[in-house]
Amino acid sequence: MSTTAQTISQSTPQAPFNLPWYLRDLPKYLLTFGVMTVIYVGFRMYQGAYAISTGLDSSDPAFDVHWMRLLYLEGAFLLIVFPTLWGYVWFTRDRNLDKITPKEEITRYFTLTMWISIYTFAVYWAGSYFAEQDNSWHQVSVRDTPFTANHIIEFYFNFPFYILMGGSAWLYARTRLPLYAEGISLPLTLAVVGPFMIFVSVGFNEWGHTFWFREEFFAAPIHWGFVTGVWFALGVGGILLQQVMRLIQLLDQIEDAA
Amino acid sequence: MTGKSLDIPARPYTGEKSRLSRAYDYLILVLALFLFIGSFHLHVALTVGDWDFWQDWKDRQWWPLITPLMMITFPAAVQAVLWPNFRLPLGATLCISCLLIGTWITRFFAYHMWNFFPINEVLPATMLPSALVLDAILMLSNSLTVTSIFGGMAFALLFYPTNWPIFGMFHVPVEYGGAQLTVADLFGFQYIRAGTPEYLRIIERGTLRTYGQYATPLSAFCSALLCTLMYPLWWYLGKAFATTKYVKNI
Repeated sequence: MSTTAQTISQSTPQAPFNLPWYLRDLPKYLLTFGVMTVIYVGFRMYQGAYAISTGLDSSDPAFDVHWMRLLYLEGAFLLIVFPTLWGYVWFTRDRNLDKITPKEEITRYFTLTMWISIYTFAVYWAGSYFAEQDNSWHQVSVRDTPFTANHIIEFYFNFPFYILMGGSAWLYARTRLPLYAEGISLPLTLAVVGPFMIFVSVGFNEWGHTFWFREEFFAAPIHWGFVTGVWFALGVGGILLQQVMRLIQLLDQIEDAA
Repeated sequence: MTGKSLDIPARPYTGEKSRLSRAYDYLILVLALFLFIGSFHLHVALTVGDWDFWQDWKDRQWWPLITPLMMITFPAAVQAVLWPNFRLPLGATLCISCLLIGTWITRFFAYHMWNFFPINEVLPATMLPSALVLDAILMLSNSLTVTSIFGGMAFALLFYPTNWPIFGMFHVPVEYGGAQLTVADLFGFQYIRAGTPEYLRIIERGTLRTYGQYATPLSAFCSALLCTLMYPLWWYLGKAFATTKYVKNI
């Protein structure tokens, strides 16, 4: 116990802005929330400005200018961001996980919770706002392309983006927390892989829509692939239990050492 | 051993330990808010969807059946984690509140502000009273069986009466073009949607009218029966997803 006490006192994590040590990454967390909000609200404002005037007919040259270009820009952005972020998380991994102090480990659990929180924020925009907005758009426009003014945001930006965030959370846990490095967390994997399958379901969904384009029944079985994918988000309950059990152990270690 | 350990009084966290655990609670609250808005809303939109989106889809046969049946799912799964592990009797209320936040934001900004549907045409239904009762029954009974039977039934049976004050006014009959229809129907015919053919096919197909005014209570009781089965199914599904296992390979 005395050894543990020395280790703890030697390396307390430092946090900026006079924040408690365990909230070291809070500024980055809030900044990410802010940037993502600007991106999503920006998309919605762009739709408000151009969807009715240029997004109703995919054979219109203006559609190419305002919507297909946006699709290509999104693709380029994601092609850069995916390897950059995942590469960064992987190459900066902790190679001495057996030596981290309880305080550092607690701080990393807080950071992992922030990562998952950012992931769920991305899931909100993809699963709630832009998903139901898709129904609204299909009710007033004829479906003549898989790249509609809402699909270009929803399917080809929002879905890959929450996969990016979920994958980052998974990688962070695997590379920086001892328990997640020793074994693969089943609930964390379920919570990331299940919603990933929603993106894959886009293929099934669009294939189904090649057979009809006018009648829109949102609760149709062709959409239930998305539904089963999102059930796996309930895995977050298991992550919570894993974290709480470990945090209690770590807090007791610190208390015993004090 | 057990008796001895029970004699030790519980010690609440104090000092930094207490502040740390409270900070963690707040982080989890933000996480849970967006998680349940995002996931539960998608589940509901793609299963109950049209019945909740549109005023004229809120019929006597399908709406009271499908809405509670699909909306008891996540509440049961979340209760299965929050009640046994944390003694928090709010799983259902949390899920339904998140759902309402998500649907209201979307109805206003995506339907009303973007495509100009009147907000009265796209009002979401509420399951909040049902959720409060479901949480209360679980808390008071501490029993999966009792909550499945009485909570599940109450969840479904309360749906129609608690929503009637919101939606009753739209079922007032009006005469329009020589035909009798409701105000809700009038919304649908004034604001033509791509889904109008589906509405006519599913809602106005003119069958199963044998029982006249009894159609709604029959649908509600059918839903009550199915909810008593759906509740334990999703309770165990919630427990299964909330596994704490670590595996070697995936």
